[in-house]
Amino acid sequence: MSEAQPIRPRAEQRYATELSMLAANDHFPRPGGWRLSPRAVRRFLLGDPKSGISRKFYGDDPLVDRAVVSLMSQQGLMLVGEPGTAKSLLSELLSAAICGTSALVVQGSAGTTEDHIRYGWNYALLLAEGPSERALVPSPVLNAMRSGRVVRFEEITRCPPEVQDALISILSEKALALPELGPDAVASAVPGFNVIATANLRDRGVHEMSSALKRRFNFETVHPIADPEFERELVLRQLAERLGPAGVTVSGERDVAEVLVRIFQDLRTGRTAEGASLNRPDAVMSTAEAVNVLHAAALEAVYLDDGKLSAAHVARQIQGVVLKDSPEDSKRLRAYVDHIVKERAGRSVVWKDFYQAARSLKFG
Amino acid sequence: MENVPLHDAARGLWVVPIRHHSPACAAQLERLIAAVKPAGILVEGPCDFDPLIEQLCDPRTRAPVAIVSLRELAGGQATRRAASYFPFCEHSPELVALQAAAVRGVPARFIDLPSTSREMMFDEAGKPARSLLGDERSFDVGDYVAALARELGCRDGNEVWDTLFEARIADDRWQGFFTDVGRYCACIRAATEPARLEQDGTLAREAQMRAILAEVRGSVSGPIIAVVGGFHAAAVFEPTVSKAAGAKVGAGRPYLMRYGMRQLDALSGYGAGLPLPGFYDRLWRTRADGGKDLALTLITGFAEHLRSIGGIEAPSFPVIANAVEQAQRLAALRGRPFPARDDIVDAIRSSFIKDEIPVEQIPLLNELRSWLIGTAIGDVPPSAGSPPLVEAVRTQALSLGFTVADGERRNRELDIYRKPRHREASRFCHAMALIDAQFGQRTAGPDFRNDVSLDRLLEVWSICWSPLVEVRLIELSEAADTLAEALAFLVAQKLAALSEQGKGRSALAAIDLFSAACRAGVGSAASSILALVETQIIEDPQLVSVVAALTDLVLLRRGRDILGIAEVGPIDHLIGAAWRRVLLLLPGLAECGEEQIRESVSALADLRGLIELARSSEAPMEINLFDEALARLRGEPLTPMLAGAVTAFALIDGQGDAVVLGERLRGELASGYVDPGRRLAFLSGVIAIARELLWTVPEIIAALHDVVARADETAFYTLVPHLRLALMPLDPREVDRLAEEVATRVGGRPDQLATHIEISESELANNLRLDRQLADVMARDGVT
Repeated sequence: MSEAQPIRPRAEQRYATELSMLAANDHFPRPGGWRLSPRAVRRFLLGDPKSGISRKFYGDDPLVDRAVVSLMSQQGLMLVGEPGTAKSLLSELLSAAICGTSALVVQGSAGTTEDHIRYGWNYALLLAEGPSERALVPSPVLNAMRSGRVVRFEEITRCPPEVQDALISILSEKALALPELGPDAVASAVPGFNVIATANLRDRGVHEMSSALKRRFNFETVHPIADPEFERELVLRQLAERLGPAGVTVSGERDVAEVLVRIFQDLRTGRTAEGASLNRPDAVMSTAEAVNVLHAAALEAVYLDDGKLSAAHVARQIQGVVLKDSPEDSKRLRAYVDHIVKERAGRSVVWKDFYQAARSLKFG
Repeated sequence: MENVPLHDAARGLWVVPIRHHSPACAAQLERLIAAVKPAGILVEGPCDFDPLIEQLCDPRTRAPVAIVSLRELAGGQATRRAASYFPFCEHSPELVALQAAAVRGVPARFIDLPSTSREMMFDEAGKPARSLLGDERSFDVGDYVAALARELGCRDGNEVWDTLFEARIADDRWQGFFTDVGRYCACIRAATEPARLEQDGTLAREAQMRAILAEVRGSVSGPIIAVVGGFHAAAVFEPTVSKAAGAKVGAGRPYLMRYGMRQLDALSGYGAGLPLPGFYDRLWRTRADGGKDLALTLITGFAEHLRSIGGIEAPSFPVIANAVEQAQRLAALRGRPFPARDDIVDAIRSSFIKDEIPVEQIPLLNELRSWLIGTAIGDVPPSAGSPPLVEAVRTQALSLGFTVADGERRNRELDIYRKPRHREASRFCHAMALIDAQFGQRTAGPDFRNDVSLDRLLEVWSICWSPLVEVRLIELSEAADTLAEALAFLVAQKLAALSEQGKGRSALAAIDLFSAACRAGVGSAASSILALVETQIIEDPQLVSVVAALTDLVLLRRGRDILGIAEVGPIDHLIGAAWRRVLLLLPGLAECGEEQIRESVSALADLRGLIELARSSEAPMEINLFDEALARLRGEPLTPMLAGAVTAFALIDGQGDAVVLGERLRGELASGYVDPGRRLAFLSGVIAIARELLWTVPEIIAALHDVVARADETAFYTLVPHLRLALMPLDPREVDRLAEEVATRVGGRPDQLATHIEISESELANNLRLDRQLADVMARDGVT
């Protein structure tokens, strides 16, 4: 029986060929514990068409430089930003390139305890043998310390601040005392160890984080993509990636993507390209959400319609995204459609399709 | 792309391609000059600037300086002249070249078209050009630079330039350096539309450079170097020669002036060059050690700066150390020998800021930007001539006893009542303030405009003739030759701006401007402002702003002698118009909505002050007309607070009856409003207009006493907070006075009222400590 493929292979599995190619041709010095040199890590993320390395992170190249360099230092790396700005993707790619695995993850939540950051116990063994190395269950953080790898702490601000603070001594002393194993038992981090944390600004911002912990991190803010043309290309590329494996093709997606990205940019920034101001919805208007909308619209066009994607399909899908968060948002979207979209509908057929379909929707 | 030749041995000619304000070009040029030992040095720059080379190279000249060219314009324009600037900083290759010529005693010349020629006067779009350095936008935009930036992993054209060239400041292979600069600029030029070169005057300028070069070649033996923008190098090399154009006589005149780093910044000033010149200045100063300690110097310098300005949290030592390390590593990752501008900015961004960075940036990064621009201002020798306005103002300042020889800040006391010369000096200072010359600040003295400190005899000014004063005067030289002309120009400009603004409170701004013009001694030139004020007032629907404007007018009238207002008629006319408007709007208060009540009451309070002021200063206002308007307002149904205010106003105006007021108050206090606060609204209205009624009209205390005495405990506790709120406007002395009245009424003795609260020293110390901790917490959380 053949083994089932995971739905979503990890970055080091997806890009195994690229990583080994980079490692083979990497002649630059590598920091202790790193699989690749910083330059090769940069190339892995930002791409190098000449050597067949694809670009994986878009929008802010200097940010990637700063992130790579922060990970070489004594400081951890904190990626903050709106949801859907590819923070987790960035953390996954960085850890895959630096230490060969992105699997050492602590997922922050209200239920995260210090044990998830330090270590727990196999209670059967603990009762049978007393505290011993065998009975100790190391956390991903302790594993990363011992093996000199990068541990990812996703959504760190969802943990209570006092739990977050367990990281302070780990980051400053690069060591973790294991008092149950003896007075001198200490796990010391070996070179290559570092922490990449991500924090979502929509839920609980970084304000509640203790300043002692903040000091141990270098902060990088990941912004949504500002250039509409570039965002459109990205959305189209990701649409093709999603539709490709299913063998589905769709037509008319370029014009529709342009309208979709324009709408997302307008609502995200609260200002239209023409300079009109509008009320920003609370809903997350990220590039990732735009891809979801376009993907759903494309599936509707293919399976329930004639295969030609139109802005009307997008209009029907967009309400599922915008109406998620608050009832106020439907009024904001209605106002946007009534004023901004109506004006554009007079000038373009695609906008007209969107306008007509959006008008017939019931907002709220 | 073929290499652009650097050297033509047959002609003994070196054409050195540079970028304006590039420290690496300047450093390599020093090496080239030392190696070539030229017999003549030519520099790209308007040829009519030649007479200023001596001043530029004077040991007393300290960059940043600029040559400003003032060109006469034909009649019918907004200004009589147009100014454009050719700035130099210490690391300008042009300045380095000229200074080297002076040191070596070889001839130096500028070789571009005269600053008054059409090609230099207008930019591509036909608008007057501010910069004489030419357009350097092609270093930042265009397909070639964008492609190169992508290839090198740089974010923009400036980072490309830093990576390719500034990084080589300490590399002593100057030939390779200039060959690369030439090739880079030639590539940019190849990506430029040929038609644009014709249109923006590039071709004509290059023909001029070749012509002067040929001229000098004919008269100097030995090697010659020509320092030109990299964009022009190949064209300057070409052998075709036409006749050089000279400057037209009387078309304009250049002056050497002090310049500032702020104006030098390519992003905010007029000049081309590199953004954040303060950074490049530091790079130039540390060129000897090849930028080794640049990151350390800059990062610790900026941390020190943050500590000195306060307001932004200064970084701790580990943060600074991390930032320095970060900068070094970023440079290594990006393949640069030492941290460049973007590496240092990135390092500070990563390390200093422990929070989200919004798209619109945060104060720390704005501060960093402004710190990297720098604040230095240059100096020019005393012999440097100045435009007529600068000369005229300087002479005037000297004749009034001000020191203009140095940039020291001094205090000057002016006895404006008794000494005519001091009054003239005061007008001069006010005039300089009005034209925004940053000459002086009034630190004390009577303020007739705002009715403050009128008992002071002396006006005190803190005065400083800094380079900024001259910079501003040179800017104004476009329009004026004397201070009076500059004032007239400025006042007209501000007046036009005011007329364009909406209505609302702009009557106040117009009165401000008029009063400033009066203090500056040009009230008569500004009398047209008054017409504008009148339009504003008679269209203003808000009582509160009309009362404010009228108060200002009455104050202006009262200080007319000292403000130098010769003709009081126009002001009286305005006062009349505003007063009529007040009377018209007053009865309308009855219709104001719930949300405007407080504003209306405060307008009434202002009005009371105004009437008292008018009585004491004999302003031409018919007060008896006010009685009629007030009576009409009293006849309207009013909300409790407004009714309290109007009743109190009527009482002090001699119209009302204290008994009626007491009865109404008693009724309000005992009324059945759901919100107990509303029961006190009438009293609040009374207090807002005339709080002295609390002790001059016994009926008020009597009414309050009755209601409080009759209330049971629950009713009393419900009322107390609102009562406290209503009495809040009273100051401590008034509270004491009221308390005495109450005490007497209930048979107590006033001296029993005060309670002495003992507090031990240790408790006080504890409380102070708590207070400090609380202040720290609030400061940390940004609560002020």
